[in-house]
Amino acid sequence: MSRIGVFVCHCGENISRTVDVERVAAEIGKLPGVALATDYKYMCSDPGQGLLKKAIAEHRLDGLVVAACSPRMHEKTFRNAAKAAGLNPFLCEMANIREHCSWVHEDREEATAKAIDIVRLMVERVKKDKALQPITVPITKRALVIGGGIAGIQAALDIADCGHQVLLVEREPSIGGHMAQLSETFPTLDCSQCIMTPKMVDVANHPNITLHTWSEIENVDGYIGNFQVTIRKKARSVDMDKCTGCGVCMAKCPQKKIKSTFDRGLGTRPAIYVPFPQAVPNTPVIDRENCTYFKSGKCGVCAKVCGPGAVDYDQQDELITEPVGAIVVATGFELYTINEKPKGSPIKGYGEFGHGTIPDVIDGMTFERLASASGPTGGKILRPSDGREPKQVVFVQCVGSRAREKGISYCSKVCCMYTAKHTMLYKHKVHDGQAYVFFMDARTPGKSYDEFWRRAVEEEEAVYIRGMVSRLYQKGDKIVVMGSDISVGVQVEIEADLVVLATAVQPRQGADALAQKLGISYDTYNFYSEAHAKLKPVECATAGIYLAGACQGPKDIPDTVSQASAAAAKVMTLFSRDQLEREPIVARVNERNCVACFYCKKVCPYGAVEEKEIRDRQGNLVRVVAYVNPGVCGGCGTCQATCPSKSVELEGYTDEQVMAMIEAL
Amino acid sequence: MKNSKMHLSTETMNLGFVRKVEALSGSSVRRCFQCGKCSAGCPMRTFMEHPPNRIVRLLQLGQYERVLAGRSIWYCASCETCSTRCPNKVDLAAIMDALRKLSWDADGPSKESLVQLANRLFIENIKTYGRQYEMRLAAAFNLRSGKLLKDFMLGPKLLTKGKLKMFHQKNRNISEIERIFSRIEEMRKKGEAP
Repeated sequence: MSRIGVFVCHCGENISRTVDVERVAAEIGKLPGVALATDYKYMCSDPGQGLLKKAIAEHRLDGLVVAACSPRMHEKTFRNAAKAAGLNPFLCEMANIREHCSWVHEDREEATAKAIDIVRLMVERVKKDKALQPITVPITKRALVIGGGIAGIQAALDIADCGHQVLLVEREPSIGGHMAQLSETFPTLDCSQCIMTPKMVDVANHPNITLHTWSEIENVDGYIGNFQVTIRKKARSVDMDKCTGCGVCMAKCPQKKIKSTFDRGLGTRPAIYVPFPQAVPNTPVIDRENCTYFKSGKCGVCAKVCGPGAVDYDQQDELITEPVGAIVVATGFELYTINEKPKGSPIKGYGEFGHGTIPDVIDGMTFERLASASGPTGGKILRPSDGREPKQVVFVQCVGSRAREKGISYCSKVCCMYTAKHTMLYKHKVHDGQAYVFFMDARTPGKSYDEFWRRAVEEEEAVYIRGMVSRLYQKGDKIVVMGSDISVGVQVEIEADLVVLATAVQPRQGADALAQKLGISYDTYNFYSEAHAKLKPVECATAGIYLAGACQGPKDIPDTVSQASAAAAKVMTLFSRDQLEREPIVARVNERNCVACFYCKKVCPYGAVEEKEIRDRQGNLVRVVAYVNPGVCGGCGTCQATCPSKSVELEGYTDEQVMAMIEAL
Repeated sequence: MKNSKMHLSTETMNLGFVRKVEALSGSSVRRCFQCGKCSAGCPMRTFMEHPPNRIVRLLQLGQYERVLAGRSIWYCASCETCSTRCPNKVDLAAIMDALRKLSWDADGPSKESLVQLANRLFIENIKTYGRQYEMRLAAAFNLRSGKLLKDFMLGPKLLTKGKLKMFHQKNRNISEIERIFSRIEEMRKKGEAP
């Protein structure tokens, strides 16, 4: 006969408001095998846990049911309490009478009856629970960082400085990301390149960091502590070991007119190129789509002029597989495209702003390149159309952001601040120019942020106009901006020389595909989801994978760096142990019954099922059965449901237990 | 004028005027971020076509004609509730003062407004008599404004209570008053006084 203890929680008033907790305890106390049934105001509190521990000793309990909240909330708490009192923690189960009962019902009678049923089921289940031992798995103390922007760089440096090996994978030919494109950074106006490039060099020189640029994640297998990552090293067409970075190939390449994506189409680059002069690594890559050799088989100038003979047209993509223990995802963002509407996307564009048809309507990142000392104009603010210095510049905030109709309802967070910065940069470079900003709200929550914005208004005399722009159109060489000042309540018209649109921040295209490879969740916009918005902001729900930077949501540089360091700290916490304890809720195969059909192997989403050979003492093969690797098994139970011979069972959820629960109803 | 479209450019925004207002009032105009607290507490708001916050906003955009065309600045009672409560230390009462002054100087559209007339007659009286002579002020105002019978019935009441004197009482130190006026005139010529 079992000796089960049942503890019914009031959860303050959360449960007791709709469920008669005392009656639940009284009814359950009558069940056979229940040695004790009691209730308490807050079971999770220290006195509540004390009550539980005391009862285990006093009543010699061999199973516990805590009727309270969801197991997601406090299962760990009560299992730890049981463990402390000397009971195997897996003999303690939660009966969820809060989320599944009191919170969703109003009628007290019916809710109480349901609560009694729920607890009764769990009592039957606990009677058939077995004492389980946690599974330990080794940890590969090596981290993978996906994305070489400021988030990835910071995370990689922090982990590497702690003495662990880091693989940094970047899709582009150079690390640096968006921050390398910026001219100055708010709120201090220090030069982005000056603070960014030393960190890039640190990455390149760090003995613990292996850099894979021009590379993408092909496949991810495994689980926390033991991932197997396949990286596709795209064909660079240049041997990285031989190349000295002298740049002769770039100078001699006859293709010179390819629009530079790094310079947002304002500048040009050759077909063999590094995205920007401070690139790390400083090894060029051949853009095969635009290279004459790859298009027509003629040319080959770069190979001829290359002293060390580094140019290799026959280079192929290379797949490498690396074991890692933790993954930091830092894939960053891209900008909302104002006119283009990606096929099948719910995101809509703004035809009324003429972006793409009026050459002097540009986005914020393009303005960054105009203002950057290393940009295509050498830091002079010049109009893309005629190269003239604009005297009236209009900035429009919230283009794409906060526009439900256009498909994005969130605030992109950085635009208010960078627009204020743009007005200052403009004023510093064009003293007789006038900047106007159309805005709906100025959102400046951050240290020294509001002061920065006020400085743009009060000292740099940017004219801020509250109200959204209705339309932009070309009139002669001017752009007419039709807006409204809602503080005054009249329409406003400005004939501008240049219009800068502060476009929304979006996740990278293909963010969803990468998430599926990693097995992490993402929201409707494809931003990666953290495990808990407040208390687990850098962890994914998938163990061993952490988030840093704008791939999780729009973020500025200070927040990105903070999150990257936080993610690194989480990785280091994981690596501080040699072995990892896992919950033993895994599937086990009854080898005597298994008929080796391997349906389980086909359906297992974790790839945990292996074929196991059973041999006699002479080493002759007797038969083959399925074997579940407990380190890999995720405990989903799909194999159990599939097995035609009922040979696989999930610990804690055996057929026997589930049948007992059904019969108790 | 009130609702017509604003064309903003460095030419149409008279920032020189704004700087004058700032110099005269000793208060920043740009510091205002349009929270609306001034208008929220203004006792004269219901009489104004431009509420106090909009006056500042129009100044920020250099739209001085719109400000001076309206009667808002003349309805301001200088109670200073706005200045006292402003979270950004914008001294709106002082700005209103400065605007009234500039409106006068600019031959603004409100130069011939009745408030202006009353002010002018008030000062003239002081200059002539060294103190206020209400009977003359009222008579001159009614004649000049064309509103002959304005507040006429109040006259007898005030007379019986001794609040209104039939004849003026000249200040004995009128020469002192004259000196004050000539000194201000002098300073104005030198540009030391507004």
